[in-house]
Amino acid sequence: MMQALVISTVVLWITVVVLAGVVVALTRQIGVLYERVAPAGALAMGNGPVVGEAAPVVPIDDLTGRRHDLGSPRADGRSTLLFFLSPTCPVCKTLLPALRSAARSEAAWLDVVLASDGPRPEHEAFVATERLDGFPYVLSPMLGMTWQVGRLPYAALIDGGGIVRARGLVNTREHLESLFEAKERGVASIQDWANGDGNRTEVA
Amino acid sequence: MDPTLHLTLRIALALLLAAAAAHKLRDRAAFQATLAAYQLIPASLAPVVIGIELGVAVALCVPTFGNTGVLAAAALLLLYAIAIGVNLVRGRDIDCGCAGPAARRPIGGGLVVRNVVLAVAALLGLAPLQPRPLVWMDAVTVVAAVLALSALYGAADHLLALAPTAARLRRAAA
Repeated sequence: MMQALVISTVVLWITVVVLAGVVVALTRQIGVLYERVAPAGALAMGNGPVVGEAAPVVPIDDLTGRRHDLGSPRADGRSTLLFFLSPTCPVCKTLLPALRSAARSEAAWLDVVLASDGPRPEHEAFVATERLDGFPYVLSPMLGMTWQVGRLPYAALIDGGGIVRARGLVNTREHLESLFEAKERGVASIQDWANGDGNRTEVA
Repeated sequence: MDPTLHLTLRIALALLLAAAAAHKLRDRAAFQATLAAYQLIPASLAPVVIGIELGVAVALCVPTFGNTGVLAAAALLLLYAIAIGVNLVRGRDIDCGCAGPAARRPIGGGLVVRNVVLAVAALLGLAPLQPRPLVWMDAVTVVAAVLALSALYGAADHLLALAPTAARLRRAAA
């Protein structure tokens, strides 16, 4: 009898461990499914400059002392991607390669401007370690407040006429690309697209 | 409490804390940033926090430390729950720092509950031991139970992390 109990317990334990392993595998697959199913897009926050309207004009000098009239219409018609980041934000760092490749592939029509605020030496060190010297880097608490940036990394796309084309929280490469997509399609955000309001927010 | 249960509890807790310390060690800069975001203790204390986690994990495995390890583990888990709770009350949306550096996971009520449950489980280890001679079958029980508990904890935690995504998807579908 004792031996029967021991054997049954061992068999049961093996079954429990295998089952637990299967449960782990299933939850991971659920995670993958959620990612596949979900529309990937930069999450637009309720506040701040409205997509389709004129961007707030904020003139600032970048770290090298060059002046940028962020948000004003540009004579050359090029668009500006304002990318808000911070040296202490881990997700921002993981997005930098995506930002670099986007800046390269969209170089024909797009300028990327990095924005942050805080003590200057910290940011100069950040620019040096992450080799961001190819981008203008502006420090201004005003800019973040004007755009009502609550969470980082945050990006806003302003077209050549100074109109906000898209903006939102960007956590992944897809979010970043969705901003360009938003401009091409004239849809303010993935949420609007999902709600079928695409045409309403379209601006000529 | 039966010594087999007691042993299972201790080893499982030790593994949990060691795993937590390991992913903090893997990306110390990220953990420092997370700690700073909590705005409770200076970020420079990051190595101390990791050291305490490892120390408690070791104390749980060494029988001569008695109940110190169990108490310390419960205290640490409760402190984390409080740290998350304080920031929830402050209305801040920060990365909890519990999913490792790769995945961002915002703090939430579920995490507070998780940590309190774990702390209560740790406190169960304070129940007086009823000694009996251990046989080989007990080794099977301990090893298998630790494996099963770790896997189930991982699965439950993963589901907890997925909950916001699931809720968002439901809203989008509605």
